[in-house]
Amino acid sequence: MKIERKRLTASIPAFAMGDIGFLLLIFFVILARAQDDSHVQWQPAQLPEVEMVAAPLASVTIDVGFKTYLDGKEISNDLLAGSLSAILGDTPAGERSVFLKVHKEAKASHFEPVIAAISEAGGDLVHILEPDKTSSNQ
Amino acid sequence: MKLKRTKLLVDPPASASSDIAFILIIFFLVCAAVQPESGIAQVLPKTEEKTDKREQSKNLEVSITRSSIVLNGSPLKLPEFAQRLAKDLSEKERDADRIVIVKSAPDTPYLLWIEVSQIIEKAGGILTLELETDRVINVE
Repeated sequence: MKIERKRLTASIPAFAMGDIGFLLLIFFVILARAQDDSHVQWQPAQLPEVEMVAAPLASVTIDVGFKTYLDGKEISNDLLAGSLSAILGDTPAGERSVFLKVHKEAKASHFEPVIAAISEAGGDLVHILEPDKTSSNQ
Repeated sequence: MKLKRTKLLVDPPASASSDIAFILIIFFLVCAAVQPESGIAQVLPKTEEKTDKREQSKNLEVSITRSSIVLNGSPLKLPEFAQRLAKDLSEKERDADRIVIVKSAPDTPYLLWIEVSQIIEKAGGILTLELETDRVINVE
């Protein structure tokens, strides 16, 4: 008489698959945010009339120490135009959005060379400002 | 005789709590990172070298300093400046005549500069920056 061997099946537990997929998704979302400049210290100027703006291709920040940063990395104003041109590449006009985040106490000598560099790179300049709630309430 | 009911202690499963905390941290991180931003857009044509000074002298000229705004030699307050600029630009028909040359002193505050550029845009002017490096930027 031949005794049949019991077949042992090893099934992969499917409970955690949803969690794993979700975590991987978030992991890649965070990695994709290469232009993170959240560590740069600056305070936006306030203006009554501002509008919501779409995501940029690059972000230029002038911080509290009036240093210039491109996508969170410090850069000199002389190199800014070239670096921006490389980022913007052949992107068609209208989609070459560049955020300019200027600390509210910055002076023309700090922000005008940066505006000139963005202009030289052919970027669509977007000044990042905060809505002035006090004056809009009055 | 009264029988005491045995109380059943139910512990919440603790094995998943670290996963939950981790997911919550990431959730708040992502929420903080993707906050929508507000601002104002300005379309910048490419920087051009200043070529003809005589032609540009016909355009309106605005000088901004820390405490004053000067339109074609007349010092004005911000509301007066808006009115005067709108009036002057309404008389201009050609696009080339609607160019407003803005020259800022090095200590001009950012907020004042933004307010002046907003007024020029609203009045239908074409903002042009005159930098100390003798370069001119046209801002529509």
